[in-house]
Amino acid sequence: MKYNYYPGCASEGTALANYHAFLAVAEKLGIELHEIEDWNCCGATVTSSVVGEFPAQVLAARNLALAQRQLDGHDIVTTCSSCYAILGLTNKKFADEEFKKKANEALKEDELEYNGNLNVRFLLDVLVNDVGVEKIKAAVEKPLNGLKVAGYVGCQSVKALRGHYDDPEYPQSLDKIISALGAEPVEFENSNKCCTGALALSAPDITISAVHPIIDGAAKAGADIIVTPCPLCQMNLDAYQQKANKQFQTSHNLPVLFITQLMALGFGLGRKEAGLDYCIVAPYQKLSNWA
Amino acid sequence: MSGAETVRKYDPEFTKKVYQMDNGKWVKMCMQCGICPTTCTLRGIMDHSPRQIIQLIRAGDKEQVLQSNTIWMCTSCYTCSCRCPRGVPMMDIMHDLRHLAEEEGYITNQSHMAQVYYNDVAKRGRIWEGGLTLKYSLKLGVGNALKLAREMQDVGMEMFKHKRLPIFPPKGVKNPAKLRAVLQKAAALAKEEG
Repeated sequence: MKYNYYPGCASEGTALANYHAFLAVAEKLGIELHEIEDWNCCGATVTSSVVGEFPAQVLAARNLALAQRQLDGHDIVTTCSSCYAILGLTNKKFADEEFKKKANEALKEDELEYNGNLNVRFLLDVLVNDVGVEKIKAAVEKPLNGLKVAGYVGCQSVKALRGHYDDPEYPQSLDKIISALGAEPVEFENSNKCCTGALALSAPDITISAVHPIIDGAAKAGADIIVTPCPLCQMNLDAYQQKANKQFQTSHNLPVLFITQLMALGFGLGRKEAGLDYCIVAPYQKLSNWA
Repeated sequence: MSGAETVRKYDPEFTKKVYQMDNGKWVKMCMQCGICPTTCTLRGIMDHSPRQIIQLIRAGDKEQVLQSNTIWMCTSCYTCSCRCPRGVPMMDIMHDLRHLAEEEGYITNQSHMAQVYYNDVAKRGRIWEGGLTLKYSLKLGVGNALKLAREMQDVGMEMFKHKRLPIFPPKGVKNPAKLRAVLQKAAALAKEEG
């Protein structure tokens, strides 16, 4: 299994934990990752408001063109929901010959060209459908028995490219991985509510009000921890949890891990490889059996 | 009539302009069923629901549309487009409207953020999240920046303590000038088409 790997900007800052844990987990599972050399920001859902939709799509397409030049014929995998949505939607646009021609005219300024033949895949898709649950189970060295986990998928990775690998309303992939690790996935209220993503920076009050019902739902369902694949969800649920506690007079203390971090623990990798020190809500007590 | 302020201005040119944007055809597709506001995460704090925004575009109510907080409160979660019986990508329409609002000089905190985000992309090719927060605060003016810093210092400190806000920018793309050339060419091509 060989992939072009697009880490995205969060993996160099707020989601460093995900970056390191994914590399460690990929090695255990025999996933060969070729980080796209010289990748650029996908533009997220922000860039189009400044420059318009087409230039924003070309910005994203530069990464697809680089991947094709560096490792043609292999899917692109990304660990960020927003990058997945943007790269995936842009990739789809290349089926339109007129768009393709125009986008390539712009990409030529950087001596690049893209024919639209690669697939863009999300981390969970690759884990469940390429690696497979059986292989994940086989890699488990320290089963997470007894750990109750609230899997919060977030929105963009299942809803932007609907039905690519999971149901947009009732996604199952994340819970399948949680079960494969020996932990118990719990159903919880508000699991399909949005955390408000990037609004956290420009409208933190709105984010605080949005993360509260999600954390509260997970706590009431008896979860020990929350896991998510998404960098923005992880940051919002983790970094804003104490603020939500203060505002809504709760005392939740739910560690929020990336699914890759939980996998690292299940695979018997240590606290360092699992990047637990990046977590703001301290996870050590609840994970003391495995870390 | 008591005065000009009671007269609502409608601008059919605005409607035409939105129809010509990348996702304008979808504005025509909406059948006003109202499923989008019922699924919207932030409907409660929007001054107009997404459905109303569509109808206001059709009416040509430029002011109401472009100054509405709705276009900036859309989180791009894609939930409404999942449930829309006609598959209207509402967030893409919102992105078009944001672009129009920016061009027309309607400024919000979110448009400030979008601007500093894009500046980072154009300058380095990648986002430096730590610097982003800083540059955004500067855009808000000293008073607002201090208020934000005071309110958010606990979050910022925790992020910093846990090594999630690097003090120095990570390396950008090798040749940002070429990336800018690509973006400029793309903008020119988009304009050509009108």
